[in-house]
Amino acid sequence: MSLNRTELQDAARKAFGENGLAPDAATSWRNLTDLGWFMLTVPEHQGGLGMGPEALAIIHYELGRAIVPGPAIAHMLGVSAFAKTGRSDLLSRALAGELTSCNLCGALEADKVSQLLFVSDDQISICPSPIFTQVSIWDETRRLFDVRLGDSVDILASGADAKAIGASLRSELLLMIAADSLGGADAILNMTIDYLKTRRQFDRPLALFQALKHRVADLKIALSAAEALLWSRADGTATLAEMGALKALATSTYKTIAEEAIQLHGGIGLTQEYPCHLFLKRAFLNSALGGDADHWEERAGRDALTKFTSH
Amino acid sequence: MTEHLDHLRHEVRDWLSANAPQEWRFCDTHAAFAESQRAWFAKLVEGGYAIPHWPKEWPGGGRSLAEQKIIYEELARADAPRLLLSFVSTYHAFATLHECGTNEQQARYLPAILKGETWCQGFSEPGAGSDLAAVKTKAERKGDVYIINGQKLWSTMAQYADKCLLLVRTSTETAKQAGLTYLLMDMNLPGVTVRPIHQIQGDEEFAEIFLDNVEVPVVERVGEEGAGWAVAQATLSSERGLTLMELGYRMRGNLWRIAELIHKNNRAEDAGILRDFGRLSAQVDSVCALADQFLEKRMSGNEAVGDASIVKNAYSRALRAYSDFGVRLGGLEHQHRHAITFGDLNTGNWMADYMNSFAWTIAGGSEEVQRNIIAERMLGMPREPKNWVTQ
Repeated sequence: MSLNRTELQDAARKAFGENGLAPDAATSWRNLTDLGWFMLTVPEHQGGLGMGPEALAIIHYELGRAIVPGPAIAHMLGVSAFAKTGRSDLLSRALAGELTSCNLCGALEADKVSQLLFVSDDQISICPSPIFTQVSIWDETRRLFDVRLGDSVDILASGADAKAIGASLRSELLLMIAADSLGGADAILNMTIDYLKTRRQFDRPLALFQALKHRVADLKIALSAAEALLWSRADGTATLAEMGALKALATSTYKTIAEEAIQLHGGIGLTQEYPCHLFLKRAFLNSALGGDADHWEERAGRDALTKFTSH
Repeated sequence: MTEHLDHLRHEVRDWLSANAPQEWRFCDTHAAFAESQRAWFAKLVEGGYAIPHWPKEWPGGGRSLAEQKIIYEELARADAPRLLLSFVSTYHAFATLHECGTNEQQARYLPAILKGETWCQGFSEPGAGSDLAAVKTKAERKGDVYIINGQKLWSTMAQYADKCLLLVRTSTETAKQAGLTYLLMDMNLPGVTVRPIHQIQGDEEFAEIFLDNVEVPVVERVGEEGAGWAVAQATLSSERGLTLMELGYRMRGNLWRIAELIHKNNRAEDAGILRDFGRLSAQVDSVCALADQFLEKRMSGNEAVGDASIVKNAYSRALRAYSDFGVRLGGLEHQHRHAITFGDLNTGNWMADYMNSFAWTIAGGSEEVQRNIIAERMLGMPREPKNWVTQ
């Protein structure tokens, strides 16, 4: 890695606002492409920076912190698929800013992209003119679409190749969602702590009440443990099921923290103007994207059973 | 550097495979367990792995934190006996003497520790648990001795200890902390009575110590009179992180016990059980990762206030979940009371393991105290007003 974790984190945090939420979608997107972050994990011989999945986690943690809108996850999957299938034509266009969406993550922003990456069990393809319909969703920071493949399809990989590359794309997707979730959880937890320190009732700040302190401390502990797992599994050695279990832990932690954030904010947490709900809704979408916790925990449990039986 | 660490790892691994006893958890009596602990400590001293954190003048000392981490990882991996009986001696007593003891005290006590002299800690009392500064055990100066009267509680394996790190009150005139003094006490002195505490799982890991006109020479004082609180901080901050890492790794190394139970009870196709196992494995891995991260922070000098509290609570919660899952899988059969297992948290004696997990949510700073530390000192939430007026 040419940059260390802290440097990349600092750069990402500066780009998306140190304290607070992302600028509008267009500005956020310009930031992402201007900084060349889509090139981070592309191998050097293909014109990228050759960084490992940890870089992916760092970027998406920050995107989650600022609840950045847009198709970053989908586009990152596109870039990765083009690199893995050796399609330098598609790769250079993607790195130049031509957008891709992907069926693995709800076809984010499908109406604004040039093409759709379609991943199935035995085929990976690109469709320049998919048929899409926007669906109305609760998460206000993202836009999802129903898509079908159009007439012309460019097949990037099929058979065993498609299976292997598909698994690796799914693993990256899970890592990005996990990182996005923990970044979001960190942001909303900090906002909640600040609120408790400021808000006064019974002639004292709410933060003085031990009942609330202990709840906040428990959230901090849960977040710290999930983050430690994120960084340890972002080293590129985790299996797909382990990545799934990480994603399950990260999204359930996000949900718990966002839920507690609303409760601890009291009435104002229920208002549209206050941002608590944006985190809660994103947490729910993250939980549903890429396979839910029940699915991944079962798979991880099955793997663990095999692993620990050979003792 | 990495090469050197790899070399150490293999050296320790080979040594352990030749020397680590198996089946150490199952002893007939607690006294037999204590004996096996002494034997294991002596062996570790001989192998050069008992005191990696002591300075390099000592045999086996002078190890970096990275090296210490490897030794404990390998101890966990080999499922070697935990070092319970010698823990207070090699960590608490050592740190106290090393940082605050006189030259004479160091010369008298440190070599003896390596020869097997064991120490216990006389800090907690019936009225001083989480609020340690509330210690009441009284020490009155009379010529060259302090006359001690009082009671200590929750002292780990005090029934086998030769010496005691004793925190006493020499003044009630000053602020709570300022009235405390730190003494080194011989457990064989007249007036010292030790009574093991019978714990809910049948173990006797802790004991209470009764002190009735015990005469401790003034030369056994560590630091000045009234400086006991500061010396006690040196005692308590002597070990941070390695134990929790070791315990996390031990828990992960014992997940096969859960797998075995799942198979035994034909639950391998039960989706609910598989989910819980998947979740537990991730939780255990997260605790190990957290402990690793904490040690890395310490090695690079980036430890923050509250970090240790986070690791402790994350570990103790995972331990509760682990043992609770074992009990649940064990069903009625594990409501039968089996042989007593001593000195470990992951024995497969599930009800005992479950009850043992409370030691980690309560001892060494309860979960609630850790939450206060996290909220107040790490997250900057205001501390509660000190004075509470009885209504």
